[in-house]
Amino acid sequence: MQTFFSRLVAAAVAALVVFGSPGAVADEQRSNATEGKRLFLADGCYQCHGTTGAGGGTAGPHLAPDPLPLEAVKAKLRTASGRMPVYTAAVISDAQIAAIVAYLQGIPRGKAAKDIPLLNH
Amino acid sequence: MSERKKPEGLTGAGMGRRGFLKTATLAGTGAVAQGVVAAGQPAEQPTPRRHSVQMASREAEQGTPPPVTTTQASCGSDFMVDVMRHVGIEYVAAIPGNTFKGLHESVINYGMTSTPALELVSCMHEEMSVAMAHGYAKVAGKPMACMMHSTVGLQHGAMALYNAYADRVPVFAIVGAILDAKDRHGYVDWQHSVFDGPALVRDFTKWDDTPLSLSHFAESALRAYKFSMTPPWGPTVLAVDQELQEGAVAKGTTLLIPKLPQIAPPAGDAGAVREIARVLVAAERPLIVADRAARTPEGLRLMVELAEALQAAVVDVSGRMNFPWRHPLNQTQRRAELAAQADAILGLELTDYWGVIGGRLAPGVKRISISSIDLFMKSNYQDFERFTPVDLAIAADAEATLPALVEEVRRQTSSGRRTFFKARGIALAKDHRDSLEQSRNAAAVGWDSQPITTARLCAEIYEQIRNEDWALCNGTVFQNYWPQQLWTATQHHQYIGDAGAYGLGYLPGASVGAALAHRQHGRLAVAIGGDGDLMFSPGALWTAAHHEIPLLYVVHNNRAYHQEIMFVQSMAVKRQRGIDRAHIGNAITEPNVDFAKLAASIGLYSEGPVLDPAELGPALRRAVAVVKQGHPALVDVICQGR
Repeated sequence: MQTFFSRLVAAAVAALVVFGSPGAVADEQRSNATEGKRLFLADGCYQCHGTTGAGGGTAGPHLAPDPLPLEAVKAKLRTASGRMPVYTAAVISDAQIAAIVAYLQGIPRGKAAKDIPLLNH
Repeated sequence: MSERKKPEGLTGAGMGRRGFLKTATLAGTGAVAQGVVAAGQPAEQPTPRRHSVQMASREAEQGTPPPVTTTQASCGSDFMVDVMRHVGIEYVAAIPGNTFKGLHESVINYGMTSTPALELVSCMHEEMSVAMAHGYAKVAGKPMACMMHSTVGLQHGAMALYNAYADRVPVFAIVGAILDAKDRHGYVDWQHSVFDGPALVRDFTKWDDTPLSLSHFAESALRAYKFSMTPPWGPTVLAVDQELQEGAVAKGTTLLIPKLPQIAPPAGDAGAVREIARVLVAAERPLIVADRAARTPEGLRLMVELAEALQAAVVDVSGRMNFPWRHPLNQTQRRAELAAQADAILGLELTDYWGVIGGRLAPGVKRISISSIDLFMKSNYQDFERFTPVDLAIAADAEATLPALVEEVRRQTSSGRRTFFKARGIALAKDHRDSLEQSRNAAAVGWDSQPITTARLCAEIYEQIRNEDWALCNGTVFQNYWPQQLWTATQHHQYIGDAGAYGLGYLPGASVGAALAHRQHGRLAVAIGGDGDLMFSPGALWTAAHHEIPLLYVVHNNRAYHQEIMFVQSMAVKRQRGIDRAHIGNAITEPNVDFAKLAASIGLYSEGPVLDPAELGPALRRAVAVVKQGHPALVDVICQGR
């Protein structure tokens, strides 16, 4: 009979097999974000929202930092209205949306307005 | 600003109206010796200037001019110069064309060498000539003339005339003509002849004529000037026959220049004004929306008076500098929200009323319009926008109606309402501060991004000019209205709106024209323009260099006709096709345009391309220093699309 400890070790090994190591998870996230950036730039999100998701005023709201959760982004894309076109799965898949969100999540928060002298005249 | 070099014999700029009239009289009396007199003006102290006018070849465009066979002392086009001076025109923008060579010669050998000077501004394209007159008029408050070649020249200038028409801006356009077939010598003259040249632009000019005599020209020129300067302002065209320009004026001929009237713009009916005041005073949430309302500095002052009398919210659609950008009642950033909440909306020279209210015709909302557009509108081109039902439409000039409206609002405001207004004003002031805070927070997002954000671009420019008497010469829609959000503008000349009809190629010419008008006031003129727009008409920068017109031209270089990229992508998405090809036909890459080199090649100081946001401030600082020395400078900045 396996002890509790041995079962725990076995579960951990199984988890690593299934989900990968912590380092591998980070690598996968990075890879996903890289692909997301490629999609963001290649597929035209940047045109209205800026290359770093900063936004384009009337052309498109800012997306990052602090992007919407994946499901919310997916819903926006699938049921967009107004100037934002509807992006169906035939144009952009769920996995690709996830990659784009990973890219947006990785965009660091910049300086606050109060810390930028040019914005405090 | 440093002292500008001037051709010998020219008087100083900035001459007052009284001084101008005095010299105009002298010019007119100078022409008396040649038989010309301005009506109602004394004929004394003649100072004749006589020039031997060479009859240039009618076949100049085909080869070498023939030898000069005659000389003459006085000619029709000298008289035309006198007429233009009489109405106060100081500049004529033109690229040469042989159908107006007589007038061209008169401008340079008579207009530019006698007072008051009529200076020729040398251009590279008729579209830029008209755009230059367009930008100039919005600053100077009066027209610049522009001469265009018959047929092909006017065709080149047509789009810019449409911009000026849609923007309600006066332009005094002159187009050459060879009306009599016997005067057409050779193949090209026939190509450049048209029976009714101005017909090409009649749909989008206020008035045109083809005078058949010099007296006729004088009357038509005065009529054109009067029409162009009566709201709604707009461009006019005179087709001027070659023979009329070049022909001699017989000795002893008396030519009259009619008196220039003082033009009183049409003000609204007194009863209607009382009714507007009643509605506004009674309203809980009135909204004033202004588009091209403030034609002059006085209009801006009156806008502030009206808003403050009511403590009402103002939304500036930015057709002109209608309201100070940091005034507490300026609620432009809350346009949609306030339009939806308002119980009374006053539209002042509002072209797109429908757009302002977002197409929502909420019941119970009093909608009022004061617009001179109702007095003059043509049918073919549809720049009048969607019809919007309003409760009261006053066909009148908004600025001319404001004094009576302000007075009536004050008269009808009880002490109880005044107390209510005060509380409303306090709440709106807080909303303005909140909007400013939101704008600053939004501007901080992506502050260090590459390509540089438009917010950073505008903030960096402002940092370099905010302590100067600056004047922005472009509309700001493609920079997300960041200047209106972040800068402080209080004076009418600091913003002049956009192209009018969104015809590309407007800004290079218009900004140089505006900068020319700013030059005599020593202002620091600035333009922020797209790369696509600049590629339409880069020759305008040569004009700035040639005439030493100080202007800081900042290229918002997104390396594309960016608006169209977004449109084409939307279309591709709708059709469920690839969305990674929208750049084709829209991107301005492979090769990238090096605007700094382009500008340098035609005589401008230039910087760029600037990619690193940290390098933007220093580049702008160096360029501003050059502009303050009296020269144009360009900074090419690689930016986000919007």
